[in-house]
Amino acid sequence: MRKFLLLMTILGLCLPNSLWAQERTVSGKVTSEVDGSSLPGVSVLLKGTSTGTVTDVEGNYRLSVPTTGGTLTFSFIGFTTTDVAIGANSVIDVTLSEDVKQLSEVVVVGYGTQLKQDLTGNIAKVSGSQVENIPVPSFEQAIQGRAAGVFVEASNGKLGQGIKVRVRGTSSLSAGSQPLYVVDGVPITSQSQTALSGDTNPLADLNSFDIESIEILKDASAAAIYGSRGANGVVIITTKRGKSEKTNFNVNFMTGFSEPTNHVEWLNTAEYVELFQEARANTGYISVASLEARLDRYAGGVRAAWQDPSSPSYVDTDWDRQALVRGSINQIDFSASGGTEKTRFYTSLSSSNQDGILLGTAFDKVNGRINLDHEANDKLSLGMSFSLGRTINSRVPDDNAFSTPLQMIALPPLTPIIDTRTNLLSGVLDLTTGLPNSNFPLYYNPLIDINYNDNTNTVFRNLGTFYGSYNILDNLRFRSEFGYDLLSQHEERYLASVASRNTGAPNGQGDDIRTQVFNYTTNNFLSYNVSFGQHELEAVGGMSFQNSNANFARVQGQQFPSDSYRKITSAASITLGNATETEYSFLSYFARANYKFANKYLLSLSGRVDGSSRFGPDNRYGFFPAASAGWILSEEQFLSENNTIEFLKLRVSYGLTGNAEIGNFPWQGLSSGDGGYAGVPGQRPSQLANPDLRWEQTSQLDFGIDFGFLNNRITGEVDYYVKNTSDLLLNVNLPGTAGAARTQVKNLGNLENKGFELVINSVNLTGELKWNTSFNFARNRNLITDIQDQVVDGNFLSRAVEGEPIGIFYGPKYAGVDPANGDALYFMKDANGELTATTNDYNAAEFTKIGDPNPDFIWGITNNFSYKGIELSVLFQGVQGNDIYLGGGKFFAANGDFFDNQRKDQLNRWRNPGDITNIPQARLFDGNGTGESSRYVEDGSYVRLKTLTLGYNLPRTLLSKTSFTKVRIYASAQNLLTFTDYKMWDPEVNTDLSNAGPNAGGNVTTANVSQGIDFYSAPQAKMITFGLNIGF
Amino acid sequence: MKNKIITLIITAVFFGCADQLDIAPVNSVESSSALKTSKDVEALLVGAYALLGDGDVLGGNMQRDAELIGDDGEMFWDGTFVDPGQIFIKKLLITNGQAELTWLEAYETINAANTVLNNLNVVVSTKKDKVEGEAKFIRALTHFELVRVYAKTYTDGNPANNPGIPLALTPDNLEPLNRSTVQQVYTQIIQDLTDAVNLLPETNGFFATTYTASAILSRVYLMQNDYAKARDAAHRVIASGKYSLLSDYANNFNNSSNGSSNATAEDVFSIQVTNQAGINNMNTFFASSDFGGRGDIYVEPAHLALYDPADERLALFYDDERTGKWNNQFGNVNIVRLSEMYLTRAEGNFREGTALGQAPLDDINFIRNRAGLTTPLASVTIDDILLERHLELAFEGHLIHDIKRTQRSVGALPYNDPSLVFPIPNRERLINSGLVQNEGYGN
Repeated sequence: MRKFLLLMTILGLCLPNSLWAQERTVSGKVTSEVDGSSLPGVSVLLKGTSTGTVTDVEGNYRLSVPTTGGTLTFSFIGFTTTDVAIGANSVIDVTLSEDVKQLSEVVVVGYGTQLKQDLTGNIAKVSGSQVENIPVPSFEQAIQGRAAGVFVEASNGKLGQGIKVRVRGTSSLSAGSQPLYVVDGVPITSQSQTALSGDTNPLADLNSFDIESIEILKDASAAAIYGSRGANGVVIITTKRGKSEKTNFNVNFMTGFSEPTNHVEWLNTAEYVELFQEARANTGYISVASLEARLDRYAGGVRAAWQDPSSPSYVDTDWDRQALVRGSINQIDFSASGGTEKTRFYTSLSSSNQDGILLGTAFDKVNGRINLDHEANDKLSLGMSFSLGRTINSRVPDDNAFSTPLQMIALPPLTPIIDTRTNLLSGVLDLTTGLPNSNFPLYYNPLIDINYNDNTNTVFRNLGTFYGSYNILDNLRFRSEFGYDLLSQHEERYLASVASRNTGAPNGQGDDIRTQVFNYTTNNFLSYNVSFGQHELEAVGGMSFQNSNANFARVQGQQFPSDSYRKITSAASITLGNATETEYSFLSYFARANYKFANKYLLSLSGRVDGSSRFGPDNRYGFFPAASAGWILSEEQFLSENNTIEFLKLRVSYGLTGNAEIGNFPWQGLSSGDGGYAGVPGQRPSQLANPDLRWEQTSQLDFGIDFGFLNNRITGEVDYYVKNTSDLLLNVNLPGTAGAARTQVKNLGNLENKGFELVINSVNLTGELKWNTSFNFARNRNLITDIQDQVVDGNFLSRAVEGEPIGIFYGPKYAGVDPANGDALYFMKDANGELTATTNDYNAAEFTKIGDPNPDFIWGITNNFSYKGIELSVLFQGVQGNDIYLGGGKFFAANGDFFDNQRKDQLNRWRNPGDITNIPQARLFDGNGTGESSRYVEDGSYVRLKTLTLGYNLPRTLLSKTSFTKVRIYASAQNLLTFTDYKMWDPEVNTDLSNAGPNAGGNVTTANVSQGIDFYSAPQAKMITFGLNIGF
Repeated sequence: MKNKIITLIITAVFFGCADQLDIAPVNSVESSSALKTSKDVEALLVGAYALLGDGDVLGGNMQRDAELIGDDGEMFWDGTFVDPGQIFIKKLLITNGQAELTWLEAYETINAANTVLNNLNVVVSTKKDKVEGEAKFIRALTHFELVRVYAKTYTDGNPANNPGIPLALTPDNLEPLNRSTVQQVYTQIIQDLTDAVNLLPETNGFFATTYTASAILSRVYLMQNDYAKARDAAHRVIASGKYSLLSDYANNFNNSSNGSSNATAEDVFSIQVTNQAGINNMNTFFASSDFGGRGDIYVEPAHLALYDPADERLALFYDDERTGKWNNQFGNVNIVRLSEMYLTRAEGNFREGTALGQAPLDDINFIRNRAGLTTPLASVTIDDILLERHLELAFEGHLIHDIKRTQRSVGALPYNDPSLVFPIPNRERLINSGLVQNEGYGN
């Protein structure tokens, strides 16, 4: 894209050249102040004329100039424009310093690029260098805190798991709310493809090291060129490409370790025994002997294990620290890039191995890429991008499984890790039968899963793009692209016979699951630009077609001769076989025109017609237009002399975008052939028809100001937006008596997101000690304006309610403990209808809003310091004002309701009349206060030292004697510090217990509505890495 | 050259791919083409059986819950699932997930039956009666299971005034339905079952027969305390000669539908389970992990003490705490066994002072004899008959229903205590505020 601009510059400048008298020539070389490298493509202009040229591959130029006087202007994107008087010189070498103005950046927009200062829409840009050395499996995690209005949340500390990204809020209830991801012009598969529990993240297959830039299209003006796909924002990823220069090699090596960000404190054995003895006595459902027999059982049959602290057999296990362990990472990246004037290349190879902080998790990745560009002649250029990667994700079950590592914390502290009777893991072998035990320990021991079972997800990912570009006229270009994304996933899981307490498969169970998604896109478009007088016009128009076909097959077998046999071929009984296919397509026509007058008035119009197979014949097409305008005030007379205001632009945009992420056949009445019964074929109605179903539409209005003060040492953006989504694609609950389906997708309701974003970049210090700061802040208010009183439930108490933001927690409000008797109390309406009366009857409590998982605001601040070769970068990131619901609270913060180990605060239970506490009386099996309620809502605000990097570049003077061009050593820390009042592991959390991916029967509504839920969810990793980066 | 390029571009840009947007589903079939032939409707009927066998309907959870809620010290719920735990301690929340799922899955079953009935016109005439009879049988059985769970029992007060459950008699009721009275629901159930008795054949593989319909009818009448009709319906099943008691009590259970033994000679009706389809949730919750269960339910000594030591039914328990009726993950779920018909006939005869078929004492001794209790009783009381019923049918999903119809109590709770009735699921009341909530569950 950058080459295209360059080409335009050359074409634009060369034409009038011959009109001028040629009386003498100056020549010279342009280099970069940053690293002394030569700069090709620098514009060299004789000031006040249109005479000019550009530097060649070596940075050299030669220009004819008038005999006397004159000044040369050297300009290049990313560098300060420099004027040099020619005087009598015939050789002028120039060193350009890097521009601190970020406004002159080039940003990638849909089907083209634009100068940031000419933008009338809102686009956040994160450069590849900001994310490439951050040791997270997937690049979105690395942009957390770096782009205003982009909310990034890892669901838990598992590796390669689904990550929630919301651009300016959630704009749908039942349709997908993740942005569209476009890599080198091709929309890629980003939805979880696993058929097993817990979403995976296909974006983790991409190699961060290959990323040149990430652009996030946020407002309608920017996103409408992606029409129906743009309502959730568009993330455009551009990979690195070669330049016409000598071949540069780059090697990066990184190694490090990780720890959980936090542990939670649980009852120890003495506290546990005390609490449960008390809880038993308070209800009397079981006898003392029965309780003691249970404790013996849970303690592996050893009474001293829980009764006698002085005994060597005494057990006090900290299960939290069994599940959360030290992880590690090793990564090596290699790249080579360069090229001639005609042909340029970039190629890379990367490999990383990561062991998670959650026991049993690991993520290994290998990626290779080659990007080629070739200019066949001055009209035709062509090229390709091709990457192939393999990821192997060693997985654990979702947070809702007994076998997931962190559910270990439910086990009593008196349960030993190793059963002294067998010298095997507790729960592995029953002494009397030799079969797996069903009642020891309390629950299935997840350590058995880690030690005996396998669960790997292997993905081969191949992205390819081929393009040809032809200059029909000097300013009219045709570009054709064909790109594809082939995702081939193989999931293999073996559940060993010793795990049968959890699996119900006494002789083992194996699954072999294959998924293949072939997703291709072709884009064909014309680009035209023209300038006459003070008018500049850029136009692009064309078509795009996308088709995605997913094939899925699964076979499951049971009855294996022993756990040594793990492939389905050894299963005596095939218990499940399944093969399915699904497909969708989009056909789109798009156009955009950008007009600029006198360098200060900007106007942009765009539109896209989208057709999708996902809608019925009558509603197949949607039209998504957008318009935007900008006014660069600083170019006006009245500001041009102002020394404070260097740059000031007002912009406004309005447009429509759409959403069709609602499954592939939502409008059709369907019957499924899965109604077979004892081998007799059968069918059943499975979906009710709604032929009127149409596109969900989001209109968005955005006001923005871009500014640069004090010689652009302070730059920034302020935006205010209102996003209204109408005709919501809503999975409406049907009455149970409707029968065939519980829900039906309808266009029903409206919701709104409005918000404010602020970005400030400042250069605080220049000179030897450099310091710059980048701050972003975003506040988004989500409001469901109308869903016709539908109730849309998520997990636990999450709900979409009219007049409230999406996913508030809705349930009984906990009123604490009755000091008289220790009963849990809930609020109910008094005689006046006020919520002041209390009741100990959960069923009589009033259901009301008891929490809101949507943050009040999110922010990030990066400070970069450099002194000589030393660089320090510090990113703090925060989320403020959100609530978290403890889904597991009723088990672990349940004042001894059942035998799960309890969080330490449960010791503050009510004991005697008059006690004032928030923890009800301990009552075994009695459900005293364990109903879902605001008792389990906690504040999830946090501030985090997200990234801290200290680097040192060896001085050039040292390197000049070697063949190295760059040697950098660095140390980096992720999530080093977290400041929060949240009492569980980590406030950045949303349990993975409900899948959104199609192969696991995902429910998108549940995924959208269920926010901020913690359910035995592993914390994020605190990682420390050390790296070495060498260029030669 | 230039013109050629422009033509090429225009072709490329505006080439019509519109037909590429016509993509039909391949995993499912459009509804309009799903019910075109007799075979299609018959396949839907099979689908209705599969839905009836769903884990939340008669695949086990309804029977499990009938045992849990009716128990007073003979078993113990030790599981971690919150919903059955609430049922066991008789403190259901209106948000109880099982109360919601049973409702939803049951109405999905009824809907499939209604869709069959709505498409009888395409069924070939030779099969029409059978198909209609089976659909009505499934609809009646499911309504019956629902009304017993979500409404006051028939004999509690005036059934003509007590709210029952919504009666779904047409397919795809997008408009919410309100509760009919208990009386109206029973009338409809009896109507459907009577039609089924008349329409169904005498044999029909493991699907419903005329005698299956009679057997369910005997249960319906029993719930109404209409002992004469219950007796007559049960007798009709016995007298048909189509079924016989297995000589070994244990052989009734854990029969898999894999292979030939689809249903035993004693099974009047059972839910078929294979290792690839269907589920046996009685096994899930009662069996230990050795048999692919969760082992959540223990049988307490108080229950074991009820048996004569020589009783073969006692010998079926294992580990001293688990019923051996459910220890095959892929075993069928017995719904009606012939022995129940003997017990119903005995009770009906006893209460009516009749001896249709044979005297109550003989029926009871017949059942006891098969269980290895070879010394016949000399006489029986109603308590003997009910105890025999309890032992013979233990952990098969009869407990709460027998307690309610005989107006006995569950511990301190009288038979008509509101906590022994499920709440109308909160989900349904949020959609349809016209659904009246049951007593004891707020407003």
